Amino acid sequence: MRVIADLHIHSRFSRATSQKMNIDEITRFAQIKGLNLVGTGDFTHPKWLEELKEKLVEIPNTNLYGYAKAPNSSIRYMITNEVSTIFTLENEVKKIHHVILTPSLETTVQINERLTGYGNLAADGRPTLDMNAPQLVEEVMEVSKDNVVIPAHAWTPWFSLFGAFSGFNRVEDCYQDMTKHIFALETGLSSDPPMNWRLSALDKYALVSNSDCHSCWPWRIGREANVFELEKLTYTTVVDAIRKKDKDSFRSTIETNPAYGKYHWTGHRNCNISLSPQEALKFGNYCPVCRRRLTKGVEQRVEELADRPMGFKPEGAPGYLHLLPLSEIIATVLESSYPGTKMVWTAYNRLVKEFGNEYNVLIDAPKEEMSKIVDSRIAETIVQVREGKVKVVPGYDGVYGQLKIFEETAAEEERSSGKVDQRSIVDFM
Amino acid sequence: MFNVKMTDAKLLRDMITAISILIDEATFDITPQGIKLRAMDPSRVAMVDFEWPQTIFDEYNCSEPMKMCLNISEMLKLLRRVGKDESIELSLDEKTARLKMTIRGKYVRTFNMPTLEAMEEEVPTPKVTFKAKARATTDGLREAIEDASLVSDHVRIEADNEKMMMQATGSLMGATIELKKGSDALLNLEVKEPSKATYSLSYLSEIVKAASAASAVTTLEFSSDMPIKLNFEQEKEGKLTYYLAPRIEVE
Repeated sequence: MRVIADLHIHSRFSRATSQKMNIDEITRFAQIKGLNLVGTGDFTHPKWLEELKEKLVEIPNTNLYGYAKAPNSSIRYMITNEVSTIFTLENEVKKIHHVILTPSLETTVQINERLTGYGNLAADGRPTLDMNAPQLVEEVMEVSKDNVVIPAHAWTPWFSLFGAFSGFNRVEDCYQDMTKHIFALETGLSSDPPMNWRLSALDKYALVSNSDCHSCWPWRIGREANVFELEKLTYTTVVDAIRKKDKDSFRSTIETNPAYGKYHWTGHRNCNISLSPQEALKFGNYCPVCRRRLTKGVEQRVEELADRPMGFKPEGAPGYLHLLPLSEIIATVLESSYPGTKMVWTAYNRLVKEFGNEYNVLIDAPKEEMSKIVDSRIAETIVQVREGKVKVVPGYDGVYGQLKIFEETAAEEERSSGKVDQRSIVDFM
Repeated sequence: MFNVKMTDAKLLRDMITAISILIDEATFDITPQGIKLRAMDPSRVAMVDFEWPQTIFDEYNCSEPMKMCLNISEMLKLLRRVGKDESIELSLDEKTARLKMTIRGKYVRTFNMPTLEAMEEEVPTPKVTFKAKARATTDGLREAIEDASLVSDHVRIEADNEKMMMQATGSLMGATIELKKGSDALLNLEVKEPSKATYSLSYLSEIVKAASAASAVTTLEFSSDMPIKLNFEQEKEGKLTYYLAPRIEVE
């Protein structure tokens, strides 16, 4: 059976998260999206944990859960969360986020007992813990060898393993003697597998993709996900497929175009400056407008650590699909500034009703069939996204990348946003 | 050995202020002949090229060439304490690698600050053939730039045989500033070829404002879409020159 899994989301008990992030809504939108397996997120938060215990029922012999109110729903839940560890190493402050997977609600109680001494678990669905990364792994793995710790959005400038501001250059430097328990990395929105393949040191790790969403709208939940082919859906089969990087069972990841991510290029949001790695280096990584240090993007950070050329693919690596949320595609075609307008929903609902769920539309639906029920330009653009033929103006310093479908608009954006008009004095030496 | 003395400490304060506009950490080339600094700002949009011969100082002792790197903003904090009619002495303690700064006025105070790891990199000046050269009062130039800054963050400077124009266009307002050859503000103008180029006003205004304390007359040289060179003429000897890269307007 094909399983599409988004294992990193947040509940309404996380900061800056929609109040609608409850089990009802998550289940509803996961179904619309086409997900089969969703992480619960936030199991360290006492109120969310209570809600999970109340609303989820264990599916026997799977270590996964279903929604008690909708016994016929195909959505399964894995118990997961994200924590932030803050610690000092060699006089540098390190802020690293990690995703934790655990096989049952019972094991969460033990994990929470251990973590509660390191921070206030009730303060935030994604708690901040005063402990270092190896301590976290040790505590979690001592509870159960079936637990999993995955470095979250491994490349984002802040709060990540390789983050430009408070991260490391090597997995081993972060997790030290506990690196033996790390077998996967979450690539985050701003990087994709080809970018990670440029580091030979990462060959041994499985690359997973999740949405890290803070709302359940379909342009957030499942925007990145993992595709498995499993005989039986259980916690163990999913974790084993990731651990073994088995191409037969861990088939691919669903990726947004990495340029869509909020930190793909280097830049300054307030100064409206967005720079490719080469351009940022020309300016010495300082903003040519405000002259403060730029927020280094993921592409530049990968470039710094890469020991392989672009385009290298390690043998046996699982595949990946570049997709974009259907609502974003429709909004771009219809020139709507927000993907949640009635006009966008109308086209979205028609497509989802016809083809079953959003992934079916994005991955499989024939152009001609789609053209019968929505504007043919929407159908055309969906196929272009599927085939990797669209342009995305890269995101930078917290600004999402923008899909550009019409050639003139794309060229215009490239000129005005992609290229800074300030020259460097170095250009004239 | 390095130690120097200046009767007018304000001269040093004004010069360090002018350098601090672009540079946080400056590596000075110090020789028996004098002191030089050439460095780009961190974002590499502008460059300062500074020289003081030893004759600027009332006393100047340098036994051998050396490089000395200083945190300019920290140095400026100390120099801001300089008052009218005060003198200053600088000396390097080679054992501790600290710079001693003695300010003498109504009372004597001595500060010391660390020297930093010096940059060995030699920075060349931009290779530009300038087609337009204007000599203006620094105050007049500063006023014109302040006018342009009211409406935009960049200004287009144009020159022909008669005049130098500054055009600033913002999202709401615009400004045109005309400086005629031979006017009170524009002392002279030589144009081999009509030229126009656009520059960041944040850089220009900070440079001109900071350098105006150290110079009364400025020579501007530029060519179409090339860097501008601003030479702030010194009352005594010495050189204070800036280069600023252009902005290329997107059509």
